[in-house]
Amino acid sequence: MAWFSKGPKDREAAERQRAAATAARERLDKWEAALARGGLPDFVQARLSEAAERRAPWLSTMTAAELLLVRSHGARPLATVFGTCWFQFGASWTRGHAAGWRTALERLVEEARACGANAVVDVKLRTSAAEADSMDYSLVGTAIRFDKLPPSPDPVVATTPALEFVRLLEAGVVPTGIAVGAHYEWLTDNSYSGLAGNVFTGNQPLNTLGQFWEGVRRRAHAELRLDAARQGTGVLAHTHFGQILKREVEKQPDQYLGRHIVVGTVVHTRAGDRVPHGIEPVVDMVDEASPLIRTKAGGGMNYMNDEEEGAI
Amino acid sequence: MSGPNDIPAHALERLKGLRREGHPGGIFTSDFSVNEFLLVRKAGFEPVGLCVGSCIYHVGIQYGNWSKNEEMTVLSQAMYHARELAMARMREEAQDMGADGVVGVRLTVKRLEWDSNVLEFVAIGTGVVHAAGHAAFKGPKGAPFTSDLSGQDFWVLLQAGYRPLEMVMGSCVYHVAHRGFLKTLGQVGQNVELTNFSQALYDAREIAMERMQHEAIAAEAEGVVGVILHEGSHNWQPHIIEFFAVGTAVIPIAAELAPSVIPDPQLVLSVNG
Repeated sequence: MAWFSKGPKDREAAERQRAAATAARERLDKWEAALARGGLPDFVQARLSEAAERRAPWLSTMTAAELLLVRSHGARPLATVFGTCWFQFGASWTRGHAAGWRTALERLVEEARACGANAVVDVKLRTSAAEADSMDYSLVGTAIRFDKLPPSPDPVVATTPALEFVRLLEAGVVPTGIAVGAHYEWLTDNSYSGLAGNVFTGNQPLNTLGQFWEGVRRRAHAELRLDAARQGTGVLAHTHFGQILKREVEKQPDQYLGRHIVVGTVVHTRAGDRVPHGIEPVVDMVDEASPLIRTKAGGGMNYMNDEEEGAI
Repeated sequence: MSGPNDIPAHALERLKGLRREGHPGGIFTSDFSVNEFLLVRKAGFEPVGLCVGSCIYHVGIQYGNWSKNEEMTVLSQAMYHARELAMARMREEAQDMGADGVVGVRLTVKRLEWDSNVLEFVAIGTGVVHAAGHAAFKGPKGAPFTSDLSGQDFWVLLQAGYRPLEMVMGSCVYHVAHRGFLKTLGQVGQNVELTNFSQALYDAREIAMERMQHEAIAAEAEGVVGVILHEGSHNWQPHIIEFFAVGTAVIPIAAELAPSVIPDPQLVLSVNG
């Protein structure tokens, strides 16, 4: 039964496998500890500080054109940084989404700080693994440092790509961060009787419902303003998602749930600043949708296909 | 599949015919658009021919441990190996037609209908040569460079004082643990972070980035431009995801271009919003 007994080769292989498994487990333990204390595991810290000292190749989502900025403006890419938070919104969909994005943002900034960045540009909001009552909130961006500036303890986060970031800086507009505003509310009183009992009513505005929905949006925007006021003087390029759902309750008036979430890029700017750029007509040689006429910022939000109902 | 020696004679003839030198009647093939073609030529390069590498791969079977966050090493290796084979075959074809490099490489994965464990990997791009015969544009170890940058971006990259070396990638297939029933029950109706899910995404993504960085170090690059991080599941069990990072490793053109001769970019404001 020679084939049955294990030779030294098999033992070696088994040893290697065990070592790999131990290493993988240790990594996970380190992640757990790091997330719990709001920091980074040592191996990530090591990779990012290597990037900060330029001992390792930089990894960047910047395009070739944006590399010109390295030469012209001294904006050096350092590393691709990431912030993620998988959040369960069992108690409140709206609050959960806001909390998920905020935590992811804090973690993104943590990585940027670790590689000595002044700013994170080209930040994309991504969600890939939505489940019934939980979703991952992920932010990916490129940490950059301006040669003339020291590393910042509080790097700014911009959803704009590096080119636009620099263009904004030249115009005296500083992108400073991402703001989130969210609000939900139930409409349960029966003052909304609108069409009840009178199917033949003609054209008429549904004032109660309209005002309710307007209120939800306004509260979300008010929260966005509050969040933005902590970081800058204005919000650009916001993307939002709102939903109004109806719940029928037996022997009671229908109930309505309105929820609204807004995410936008915060900028710091003074009113009346001049724009220094001349405007030139250009021939655009790009084949796909030209970035010159691209209007939508902060892609990757998949709120559009979120059809589920239920949680608030 | 095919080393340089077992490419059929008629194919070798075709490859030779693609080079203009000594073949006045030679023609090039490429999937460049008109704009791409003009800008590649403006950059001082001429297209030679379309380079294709393909690999049909049987991906081994591996089941994730229901309650464990872990890398699916069999799947990771399969995805990595198969992509590498497709890329190597494309590079080989580029070398055979005498190209200095391959621009506009698209690397795709396709599932074949008749077997869910078989994936087809295709790498396709346009081989180019420096029009003046400058030899310094080759990739690592004198092999043709590879880049997923479009013709336009290739021109811009050279303008920025960099040249492409090699497409670098990092891949990690990962199993995200399911939550235990009791744990799930304990958290019903709460707003909480599911930390083991967060951890899984972090771990998987970190492994992919590290692997990509290793490739960049091996290519002796200064950095990697245009990094894209894909997340995908190729019809595997639920909770298995692949993180795939890909980008073009670049290096400054120190010898050919002094920083002072590189034009400053002119920033324009678009009015056609």
